[in-house]
Amino acid sequence: MDFYTGNVLRIDLSTGTTRVEPLNMEYARLYVGGKGLLVRYMWDEVTPGLDPHSPQNPLYLVTGPFAGTNVSTCSRLLVGVKSPVTGIFNDSYVGGSFSPEMKFAGYDMIVVTGKAAEPTVVTIKDDVVEFRPGKKYWGMLTSEVEAALREDFDAGARVLSIGPAGENKIPWACVSTDQFHKAGRGGTGVAMGEKNLKAIAICGTGGVSVGDARAFLADVRRIHTEYVLTDDNLWVNEEGTPILVQPMDDAGVIPTRNFSAGEFEEIENINSDAFQKIKTRNRACYQCALGCRQWHELGDVKSEGPEYETIALCGSNCGVGDIEALMKFNRECDELAMDTISAGNVLALAMDLTERGVHDFGVRFGDVDAYLDAPQLIAGRKGVGADMALGARGLGAKYGHPELAMEVKNLELPGYDPRGSFGMSLSYSTADRGGCHMRSYPIADEILSGDLPPDSLEGKAQYNIDGQNHSSVKYTGIWCDFWAIDKNQMSQLYRHVWKREVTEEELTQVGERIWNLARLFNVREGVEKDTVPTKLLDEAFESGPSAGKAITSPVFEEKQLEYYRLRGWDENGVPGEAKLAELGVDVRL
Amino acid sequence: MPHVVISKKKCTGCHMCELACSAWHEGVYQPSLARINVIVNPTTGVIKGQTCMQTTCRKCQDACPHEAIFTKGGVLYVDEAKCNACADIAAGPQCVPACPWDVMHIHPRSNKAFKCDLCDGDPQCVAFCQNPHVLAVTQKADKADEAVTV
Repeated sequence: MDFYTGNVLRIDLSTGTTRVEPLNMEYARLYVGGKGLLVRYMWDEVTPGLDPHSPQNPLYLVTGPFAGTNVSTCSRLLVGVKSPVTGIFNDSYVGGSFSPEMKFAGYDMIVVTGKAAEPTVVTIKDDVVEFRPGKKYWGMLTSEVEAALREDFDAGARVLSIGPAGENKIPWACVSTDQFHKAGRGGTGVAMGEKNLKAIAICGTGGVSVGDARAFLADVRRIHTEYVLTDDNLWVNEEGTPILVQPMDDAGVIPTRNFSAGEFEEIENINSDAFQKIKTRNRACYQCALGCRQWHELGDVKSEGPEYETIALCGSNCGVGDIEALMKFNRECDELAMDTISAGNVLALAMDLTERGVHDFGVRFGDVDAYLDAPQLIAGRKGVGADMALGARGLGAKYGHPELAMEVKNLELPGYDPRGSFGMSLSYSTADRGGCHMRSYPIADEILSGDLPPDSLEGKAQYNIDGQNHSSVKYTGIWCDFWAIDKNQMSQLYRHVWKREVTEEELTQVGERIWNLARLFNVREGVEKDTVPTKLLDEAFESGPSAGKAITSPVFEEKQLEYYRLRGWDENGVPGEAKLAELGVDVRL
Repeated sequence: MPHVVISKKKCTGCHMCELACSAWHEGVYQPSLARINVIVNPTTGVIKGQTCMQTTCRKCQDACPHEAIFTKGGVLYVDEAKCNACADIAAGPQCVPACPWDVMHIHPRSNKAFKCDLCDGDPQCVAFCQNPHVLAVTQKADKADEAVTV
């Protein structure tokens, strides 16, 4: 079928064997690609209640139908796994060039199971899959292992790897590709580390068929002109995500000193204006006309990023307004392959505990020297890093202050304090992978457009539901959030795949189907209660734009129940039979 | 003479040009058969673009022992009737190593040399370098070309 290769590559590291099987096209019909395929395959293949640390826990690399074509932003790769951190469904997306290369090599999905006896690297050149001893690469930083595999295997290889953090199974170790691109959340790097898999390198020489290629080219050219490269979208190229820093500070929602304030007095040192002064160039992911990646140069640091989340969590949330230190910290995390959202949260918690006199971790808010030592200590589980490697929940619990750990379902929170954007509380509590801002984003209207009141949860349950259904179908594509694609635009592209007219309603239903199946999976795996840290509900800020305004636990609980009702789920958040039947979900608990 | 160039300073490394090139010529997205190359080092961010300079270069034409490369409107084309991928020469195809830009190859299916032909006057690589802030892939022409219809 056009747009799909029709192949799934299965790699068993325990036996050192591989096989190729056909993609289940019935699943592709119902669940399309990316997130949809992941959740449907995981339902079948993850034994209910499976210990996520077990070698039997499969690691999935999933593409979307448009990977390898020139539909902008659709080069994103989905790294999926039953998370070793949250114990539930985890879909983490990463840009770069690995996903298109998978398609050129002939695979829609790669599924890795088992555990290698020794550190291993897998190389793939079209249909030739090889297991290589990985000892020489073990311990390498991400830039080093990428360069080494381009030297040892193929100069044009696309590399997916872990750094020392993944080798040492730091809970927020991530998977890295093209050096600066990370499948950041939920411990994807832990999953690779537990399999003794240092890297996968891939080269493909084949093609992706789309039917009438010249007609498709002409339509994509039109779609790019009309919807992608518009004046409204070009901020992505000009400034990228740092553009969010100042408005989030102005609105009083940027996490500061372990979520103790929503404004940071040194914000002008690390906002977009500050980064514009040291910007050197733009880079793009494969097949993306937008080119959001901002390269900066300062002192001896030349690198991509940091992005907004890093600036918020590793900057203001750690009390750090030193742009050079922030860039160095970001580079360290990139090289060690650690998620910066969790790193900033955990370090800020250690700083908080130190400042409160609970335990001296040798790090204080704004103390740049100790801050810069932290990534290495954590990744190596050395000194104070050993405790920090427990993650925010583990660290808070160990030192008797669980209320200071800013996490949901053991996933540390992103850079938006719900006290200044109430809708984000429901976004975090109901996100299918734990504390995440990328499933629904009410802050877009509560702060950025200003169309909705930020200090009310009225209507926000439905708002989050709509956002989650939309992001679920969007992540079949797999479109990046930088193209705020609507369903009409998606339908104009999906009609090339399905060779028929596509309605917006059916796309909404695909998204809702995926979201419900992911919930069913999470219920099956014993998902925790949907909530957020009490501090964010009941302790209002003392100053700033949202001073004195608290969501309050009772109101939140009521809205959480409203969310379940509107979803067609019971009061415990279990999807109901009527809803599952309506959506055509083909499995049951 | 008309030819495509890539500004390594402006190029973001999105590979849209290779994708569009291969789709236009091959009917599938297959950058391994593109007539234009962009080599990106993801770690350093350094980019190298490789394009055919057409008649401002002519190294392939000079090297071809079968006179299979001809000029029309300032563009070099392969005459497939004459090209035999130098099957009669022990050293193999002469045009491929002669190309300073590594954009001359032998097609795996037709077994003929293939190269950039500027897409009948609407180079898809240029068309898909669409971001108004980037526009790294452009078609160059000197004054003499203005009288030339490609």
